[in-house]
Amino acid sequence: MFAASGCLSAVPGGTLMSAAEIRARLIEDAAVIYPGPYLNQLRGESIENQCQEFLATGVRHIVINFEETELINSIGISILLGVIESVNRAEGALMLSNLNASNRELFEMLGLMSHVEMAETEEIALLRLGSEGARAAI
Amino acid sequence: MTDPNSRQLLSRLSDEDFAGREIELSRVRTLARFPHLTAGRDLRSNALLLGAPRVGKTEILRKSFDRFFDEGGEAWPFYYCVSPSCLDPEKFARDYFSQLLVQFVAFRRNDPKLIATADEPFAIINRAAPAEDYLCVRSLVDSFTRAFESGDSTSLMRFALSAPTFAATHAGLQPLVLIDDAHHLKGSLIQAEFIRAFESGGLAKSNPMYALTGLRRVVKDLIPADQEVFDRIEVIQVERMSNDSVERLTRRRAERLGIETGDSTVELLVQQLNCDAFYIRAILNAAASGGTPLKTFIDFERLYTGEVLNGRIGHYLDSMLRDAAPSPREGRALLEGLTLVIDSTSPVPIDVVTERIREHTPNVESLLRRMHEREMLDVGYGFVTASGDPVFLDYVRAKYRREIAGSLRPISGNELIGEKLKDSYRLMMSRYNRGIEAQLVEIISRFDFQSVPAGLFDHVAYDQRYRGLSRVQVRRALDDQQERLRLPQIVLVNDLGADEQPGVNWRLYSATGFEGGIYTEANEVLWLVALINSKEPLDLETLGRIDQRLEAALRGQKAKSGRLSHSVRWYISKEGFSAVASERLGSVYAYRSTYVHLDLIQDYLTRLALGSEARPVSEFELTIPIEDEAELIAARTAEQIARAADFDQEAINQIKTALIEACINAAEHSDTPDKKIHQRFAIDEDKLIITVSNKGKTFGRSNGQTTPASGPEQTKGVRGRGLQIIRALMDEVEFERTDDGARLVMTKYLKRPSSQ
Repeated sequence: MFAASGCLSAVPGGTLMSAAEIRARLIEDAAVIYPGPYLNQLRGESIENQCQEFLATGVRHIVINFEETELINSIGISILLGVIESVNRAEGALMLSNLNASNRELFEMLGLMSHVEMAETEEIALLRLGSEGARAAI
Repeated sequence: MTDPNSRQLLSRLSDEDFAGREIELSRVRTLARFPHLTAGRDLRSNALLLGAPRVGKTEILRKSFDRFFDEGGEAWPFYYCVSPSCLDPEKFARDYFSQLLVQFVAFRRNDPKLIATADEPFAIINRAAPAEDYLCVRSLVDSFTRAFESGDSTSLMRFALSAPTFAATHAGLQPLVLIDDAHHLKGSLIQAEFIRAFESGGLAKSNPMYALTGLRRVVKDLIPADQEVFDRIEVIQVERMSNDSVERLTRRRAERLGIETGDSTVELLVQQLNCDAFYIRAILNAAASGGTPLKTFIDFERLYTGEVLNGRIGHYLDSMLRDAAPSPREGRALLEGLTLVIDSTSPVPIDVVTERIREHTPNVESLLRRMHEREMLDVGYGFVTASGDPVFLDYVRAKYRREIAGSLRPISGNELIGEKLKDSYRLMMSRYNRGIEAQLVEIISRFDFQSVPAGLFDHVAYDQRYRGLSRVQVRRALDDQQERLRLPQIVLVNDLGADEQPGVNWRLYSATGFEGGIYTEANEVLWLVALINSKEPLDLETLGRIDQRLEAALRGQKAKSGRLSHSVRWYISKEGFSAVASERLGSVYAYRSTYVHLDLIQDYLTRLALGSEARPVSEFELTIPIEDEAELIAARTAEQIARAADFDQEAINQIKTALIEACINAAEHSDTPDKKIHQRFAIDEDKLIITVSNKGKTFGRSNGQTTPASGPEQTKGVRGRGLQIIRALMDEVEFERTDDGARLVMTKYLKRPSSQ
């Protein structure tokens, strides 16, 4: 498990809250990030840092799970786009999961759907990424 | 609108500090612009500016002068302040004429510095005149000199008073004569000639229009009881500014002077100083020059006491007293008379006051008249009542204690501070109460045979039917309520006084009117109304006490009219009623409401009056600091309000997201000095209107792209997509520039099931 600040203490299956309340967990070769209730600049940047660290350690499958995310602002979304780009550049794969209707509408409105895939649940996302972690998680 | 470039010539306040008086100002300015058409003739009006002392009448005249002077158009302003030292006809004529000459020359040369040269010899003023006016000015000066040498003071006055017409005719201008302190004219040798000139004001095109102000009780008496004269007089009532405007101006001025203030202290200051701009400026200036903060009540009360006893306010009131009572004997008599009236809680018979004053001076009538004219007290034919100026009352009490009762000088502090501090809480409460009281009186005065839902007058029935519903839901449900109450038509509302006991205070009213639409004695009805502000539901014991007072009022009414009208009782208690009290009221068929019902009754009457087009609006305001995640607080608030207004969850989420974007936008594009974002939420019948405003440059309007991004490179622009998001999620979005920033107004319509 990881803190967004980059202090890595990988305990598969475990979770840890960061200062910006970003939880992340590593499931085998895949990572899942939970942005928390409000994706704004602060949490967006934490996600960005977290992803960079995952990519640096060789993780190529990343899921961002929005289950707890009630609100998202445009600054958070722009940072998320940066994250998508860096994962693509690193030849990794990223999926979004558990978006509520309002957030999905927001992403559609801003044209995000053409850059990133979405899944109903975290498990489906992991399966679609074909990660080892999916089997571990299921 | 205020011209930001207008110069401050005669006015003493900057345009910023003058705010809130534009309507009165424009009415004065209209005099010289638009002739009033009466019976087909081109008849222009003169004006009287009437208002309480220090309400700002002089400043309105001076500002009018500045604006006209600055415009340099056809309207030429002449300002003259009558001085008690120039009431001799010759002195007056000379002073009036020389002021007029310099102001004419200054206006024609657009050189305000010349206004101050009225004391120069006429020859020098003449030399300053522009070439095209030189001969005109010279001929005026020659004529004046001849009239002066003739020794006929009446001709001299007539000439001086007609000089504006001559000058204006020559220059093709429309003169507007602004006369301040006109009360000094009363009883002087000038009065008759001046009024003659005033009466002819506006009768011909070149005749000046006059605007007069001064002590209102005297200025009104200057004008003869002639219908034709009154037909052509426009009376401009200058009222006190509202609490809110005065608080805003006070905060702004304090900020400019670098005085630290607390919100409640500013509210207290404005209350205690009775919204009086002069007193407020005096206190703020004293705070600024002494480097004293106004953060707490005691900060303010210390400063107040110092100012009233020995500061600017005290010196001003000293001079007012000397003006009304020049000799020490009269001064003593004045203080004795005032103290007698102030100490009494009810009007004092005039004979009692006369007797007290006569102990010290034989000039009783003249002294009382002077006090009445200066509004130190109100003298009627039978009774005398105290002035409504609380600062003056404090001053008189303190002066009496010190100079007549011979109180010991305190070693430290002052008893006035203690009194004011004890009063401060009550004063702040009364500010709140006054708002509700004014609302109630307004509601009762609007009773006009309307049929309203009976539940609004019976909290038990209301609770049974509407408990748990939001206000918007209640409003809709009220429309469907079958049981109705037919209101009377109210013609008179009387204040029966207030009373209190620990934890509860109340004010009683009687309202007289008619039921059923026929004006007969049998249909006459008396509503006895109790407005009760308490921390707990009203208990039986307090109810009993209130009832005793209402009974007494009823008996009083019977004694006065010789018969007993049909009476109705209405109790409005802020926190409702205890079960026993409520039962008791129910058993005697009294109406029982709470403050919530009062709002709903007001809404209902407004709706009936305006028809279905204008719906009452509930408004909420929120101010958040510009700091991390404060916009979440705004979103939560919007959620609560939208939910109460019956929006579904999807719409609520959209509103929240749009509001968050609006807040981020306001924060990013603002260079606001207060680092705050202000929001107003208005729930109308079918929509929620959210206004987000900031002080500073503008919202990021240029970011409002409309096409979606097509690739990750372009999506960096999502950062600037706030406006696009807002537009997509809300039904209407508008930008408005304000004087000190910008605001974004977003509307979301409620989708009723029927419209889906």
